[in-house]
Amino acid sequence: MDVNDKTFRALATSLKFREMRQELMTGNVANAQTPGYKSVKLDFEEALARATDVDGNLSMNASDERHFNVGGGGFNNLEPEVYEDPNGIVSENGNTVDVEAEMARMAENKIMYDTTVQLINKKLGLMKYALNSEK
Amino acid sequence: MDLLTSLRISASGLAAQRKRMESVSSNIANAQTTRTAEGGPYRKKEVVFGSEPARDSFAEILEGELDEKAQTVHVTEVVNSDKPPILKYEPSHPDANKDGYVAYPDINVMQEMADMIEAQRAYEANVSAVNTTKSMALKTLEIGKN
Repeated sequence: MDVNDKTFRALATSLKFREMRQELMTGNVANAQTPGYKSVKLDFEEALARATDVDGNLSMNASDERHFNVGGGGFNNLEPEVYEDPNGIVSENGNTVDVEAEMARMAENKIMYDTTVQLINKKLGLMKYALNSEK
Repeated sequence: MDLLTSLRISASGLAAQRKRMESVSSNIANAQTTRTAEGGPYRKKEVVFGSEPARDSFAEILEGELDEKAQTVHVTEVVNSDKPPILKYEPSHPDANKDGYVAYPDINVMQEMADMIEAQRAYEANVSAVNTTKSMALKTLEIGKN
């Protein structure tokens, strides 16, 4: 059993990107009244899903280490998409931050972050259980 | 780039709103002030917010794009409003001019109160962001703790 398997790396990557998202959202809330500030968003779900590819539909067999690893992870060079929110409502001073929506997204992000941590713990728990089962 | 950066960004938001609150309360307190150190009636103070990338070390600058996008906020300047004062006819007032008019600052206390509420709400939003970030950071410490 590979301790650092795909699931584990996907969970870790998810944590990392949610941290980044949290940072961008705190920036948006802090700048809710800054003239001309544009709200920024971060998307990683699709990229992560592609890298994880749970069903294995997209992965290719690699029989040589020089083969490209297609669909079989690639977590290390996964890049989230960071962009200025194109749907933001521009207020009279040119600001596009919607604080309420931002707080809601922050709450969601926190819940998903906590869930991810719990999943990691569950996985660690399984390993621990396997290690202790002889006793 | 980490959760501590998020905390720093929220802290910058808190500080900016606090400074705004300072100028609002100064405006309300001095709504009737006719005599100031620089002469003439008190002039309404207005804060100007500006954003800048959240990074404070060379290493963070090297880290690249995201820190460019995550922005802290700070008060770039406090400007004195150049609205003309309101003249009231009070000949017995020591600051009255030769025609008997006293120059009072043009401060709308209602508007200041509304500004104050806005600053308060923005402050609260930042506090709530700090709490969310903090609980996420604490949750991270629970990894492998079962």
